[in-house]
Amino acid sequence: MEFIYNGIRFHVHAIVSRWRESGGWWNRIDDGRLSRKRAIASGLEEQIFDDGGKAIWRVEAAPIGAVATFEIECDEITGAWQIRPTSRPAH
Amino acid sequence: MKAISKTPFTHLHVSSGYSFKYGTALPDDLVLRTAESGGSALALTDRSSLAGVIVFAQSCEKNGIDPIVGVTLDFLQKKNQITLLAQPGSLDALYRLVTTINMSQEKILTYKILEEASCYSSRIIALHGAHSQLQVAINNRKYEEALSIYASTADLFAEQYIECVSHLRSGAAALSTPYAARALGFARDYNIPAIVSNQVRMLNRSDGPIADILDASRKLVPLSSKHVERSNSEAYLKSSAEMQWVSDEIARVAGERNGRRLLTDTYELAERLRLSPRRDIGLGGIHLPQVADRSELTRRTRSALSRYTGELSVAAAARLDDELATVTALGFEPYFLTVADVADMAKARGIRVAARGSGAGSLICYLLGISGVEPISHGLLMERFCSTLRAELPDIDIDVESDRRLEIYDVVFDRYGFSAPYKVGANTSVATVAMVERYRSRHAIRDVGAALGVSPMEIDTLAKSRSHIRERTATPVLQTVLRLAQRLYGLPRNLAMHPCAIVFSDHTLLDMAPLDINASGYPMLTFDKDDVEAIGLLKLDILGVRMQSAMSYALQEIKRVDDISIDLDQIQLDDKKTFELIQSTKTIGVFQIESPGQRELIGKFAPSTFNDLIIDISLFRPGPVKSDMIRPFLNARQGYAPRNLIHPDLYEVLRETEGVVVFHEQVIRIISIIAGTTLAEGDERRREMATPEGSRQMREWFYGAASARGYAPSLIDQIWEILHAFASFGFCKAHAAAFALPTYQSAWLKAHHPAAFVAGLLTHDPGMYPKRLIVDDARQSGVAIAPIDINQSDSSYRVEKSDSGYQIRMALCDIRGIDDSQMESIIANRPYIDLADFVHRTSVRRTTAEHLVTLGAFDHLHNIDASGNGSINRRDLLLHLNDIYSLGSGKKNSQLLGQMSLALTPEELSPSGLPALSLADAVESEISITGMDISTHMMSFYGDFLNHIGAVRSSDLLHQRSESSILVAGVKVALQMPPIRSGKRVIFITLDDGYGCSDITFFENAQEGNDQILFHSSLILARGVVRRTGARGVSLRATQVWDLPDSYKKWRNLQVYGGAEHVAGS
Repeated sequence: MEFIYNGIRFHVHAIVSRWRESGGWWNRIDDGRLSRKRAIASGLEEQIFDDGGKAIWRVEAAPIGAVATFEIECDEITGAWQIRPTSRPAH
Repeated sequence: MKAISKTPFTHLHVSSGYSFKYGTALPDDLVLRTAESGGSALALTDRSSLAGVIVFAQSCEKNGIDPIVGVTLDFLQKKNQITLLAQPGSLDALYRLVTTINMSQEKILTYKILEEASCYSSRIIALHGAHSQLQVAINNRKYEEALSIYASTADLFAEQYIECVSHLRSGAAALSTPYAARALGFARDYNIPAIVSNQVRMLNRSDGPIADILDASRKLVPLSSKHVERSNSEAYLKSSAEMQWVSDEIARVAGERNGRRLLTDTYELAERLRLSPRRDIGLGGIHLPQVADRSELTRRTRSALSRYTGELSVAAAARLDDELATVTALGFEPYFLTVADVADMAKARGIRVAARGSGAGSLICYLLGISGVEPISHGLLMERFCSTLRAELPDIDIDVESDRRLEIYDVVFDRYGFSAPYKVGANTSVATVAMVERYRSRHAIRDVGAALGVSPMEIDTLAKSRSHIRERTATPVLQTVLRLAQRLYGLPRNLAMHPCAIVFSDHTLLDMAPLDINASGYPMLTFDKDDVEAIGLLKLDILGVRMQSAMSYALQEIKRVDDISIDLDQIQLDDKKTFELIQSTKTIGVFQIESPGQRELIGKFAPSTFNDLIIDISLFRPGPVKSDMIRPFLNARQGYAPRNLIHPDLYEVLRETEGVVVFHEQVIRIISIIAGTTLAEGDERRREMATPEGSRQMREWFYGAASARGYAPSLIDQIWEILHAFASFGFCKAHAAAFALPTYQSAWLKAHHPAAFVAGLLTHDPGMYPKRLIVDDARQSGVAIAPIDINQSDSSYRVEKSDSGYQIRMALCDIRGIDDSQMESIIANRPYIDLADFVHRTSVRRTTAEHLVTLGAFDHLHNIDASGNGSINRRDLLLHLNDIYSLGSGKKNSQLLGQMSLALTPEELSPSGLPALSLADAVESEISITGMDISTHMMSFYGDFLNHIGAVRSSDLLHQRSESSILVAGVKVALQMPPIRSGKRVIFITLDDGYGCSDITFFENAQEGNDQILFHSSLILARGVVRRTGARGVSLRATQVWDLPDSYKKWRNLQVYGGAEHVAGS
């Protein structure tokens, strides 16, 4: 498994841990984005509440020999990915 | 062994909406999802509740899923939980254990309860889940403590499992994978069986916000990270593949290769816990109370047949044989004998009892004394109530005096219940029953709004006007409130006590359902009222009816004052004076026929027989009104149009209602005659028409059957149209007859003993009108109203004999601020010689004493002339009262009673020179203190004005020409906005002017701009067009409306300054 971060291709050596998060949606009501549409298999759109659900993997990855730790986050509704290096210890 | 990876996963820990403000899905949705995903079993383990078990079992049966039943309980302390699961044949143990907990003081599962009830717990399987004390100890690496907990409960449960749950939370706290893995590692190390679950509380991952709202609502806090229990949305009903992934994840972190063993153990446990909805949960069973001798029913009813004489006795004997054959075939003898027993016990204590509903159609109910309506001569059918084609328990409801309803509960529990329900091994055959309250729009909006921190005022506005707010135009917060509220709609919100139902069964009641103690202290089944019938328990609704109390009180007053004993159930049902009263429409206070609409209807209809009353009650309902059934009936009845009896074969069936189909019983008979069926089958066919699909099938069958009997197609078309239309608005004649009886009885009392009847009405307040109208109605009936007198008035309204007949002594109970203890003190210490004596010897509050003086309660003692012409007046008495309290003599308390008072003596009572209260002041005080104008009608102060503008008295309405435009005025005593066929808002207002009532209809054009007056003015002046609708039928269509005091003020000003003739349409 690989990903590109800051223009450098990284290779994932190990998944340290993974978890899911959500919550705090009640603080985002005023921005009007709480309700979002998700395409479902049947081709219809389902309107759901966006409670900020995210799936997160903490991985060990290396560009050229050097290993570092990253958090890779996937927005569960839009499918958008975010990658950030982390120094937090693995679980 | 089956390949586990291919086997559908069975969820063993699932909370539904029946966990009350925790689970977000209904059992039906959870079961349906399981069935759709190929599952074959599902557990329901609601938090501290088994209320969803029956609907869950019904849904499982419908969808081919095996139910597994359990409950998640607080164990030792609120934050620690344990999940208990019933094995086949041990659901009774689970129910009884939960009953024991509910009856305990602690209300949570403790070692003490487990030890006492080990005969139950030892048949139950326990899961130590993520929030159990055992797993908390494991997570804290206190393995010895964890082992000790495990060992301490080992003998108390049949088996114990460690339940591994990962909601993929971050970190290592409960519901994270490392936490679950540690629990699994511990289980493996100490050879303890372990299973995997998902601790489900949602159907879908997207239900998270609903769970948050429920958490906030349950904890009564606004939403915040501190109070929300979930950190992600993983607690949903995951698929087998997802659960396999979770199991692998936990197992791998615990050092195993994969989750295969965990899944296998879960599968094997689930297989052993599958229950049968019928055998184990009891769906479709019947558990009637045990009676010593079933043949008692035959003996009792046959001996009561002696009530019949002549030709009717032959018909009655034949019908009784038929009914007994039906009841015996169904095995329902205990049902009838139990209900009769309850009715007998009530009557033995002098409590009035009347049957309600279709049960009045049964001759058996009549002969047993459950119902007072003779069914044969009124054309009532047993088949509408009970038949062999419908092997379900029939429904009998009984009406009793509302103020004595709990007395009946007490005697029923004495006979059928137990004294120590918490005792292990206890048995009972009776309990009250619960009622599941569900989220409706207003509650949902309120709970979501409160959770989201919306201001109470905004929530209130939104809850009241939700239908007027368009989601798109609302603010984002209000949009969110509305959308989330929609998602809450229909979820169980609370388990409340059913207001009137009692459930009977055989001695296995505690094995069939868990009990709790309700707010009134009676044992209560924690199943919904509808669910108890699914498991064959006899539900008897004992409804408190204030009119029964009022009539009973009237009978007591007649006995007390005139020494006449009247058995209201034995009076003839053809009393001329009673029907004259009904036809006069002076029926305020009479059961069922006092509303403006009913008075208008009886004015047109002029009922002259008991059967007419049954028809009247059946016609005056939204369905017939909406379907315009009343007009054709009245037209035929009054001879304005010919009646249409359709076909000679239907003559007998339709004759009584002039060809209009009004009753279910008529439909049953029509089907029976035209299609050639039994009455029982006719009723089954009638019931089929309740659904569109059933109606379609019924049509096909009916056309075939009627054609086969030679009826012409056009006739069949005509009859089918009537039957089809009737399906939505018919009424059970037996039910109407049961209502007609107290209607007739109350009218009889009003006709023959108006004073006693009014005393009953004022004491028990059964109707829709304010007491001041009842008082006014009494005056018009020739009953005098005697003021409150400190030495005469009681806590209830009493009848007194007077020179001119009877009068009603106003009671103490309606004085503002008075309570039972003050009334008791007043009554216990009388007679009083004067005001000072009263203050000395009672414990009434000063304000109450002032009210009593103001109302004239001491006028008699102090020789105060009501006209104010005496030497002293009520104002002098009020000053005297002030002196008494100022000198401290009023500050004694009940402990000093009987001792000499050291208080100073107030000055001698002498005239102060203040003017006496005027009549207007007196009436104003009366209304302020009692809500009633006792001395005179408040409209009397507007007499000159109303005479000047030519307003018509209500008693003169009948003399007005139809279509003439008139003015009427009065105190608004009723405002109704019933559903109307057109869907438009129509307001019906009743005005009382001291001469009777005028009923005025405000259509939309007359309402325009007048909402403030219509809804907020209590004294109204209106112009309307007279419409005559029968011999006694008259109504007014309003064209204009004014606030009476405003108009009066203008008139007064113009009187002074000239031009008075221009006020209010004059």
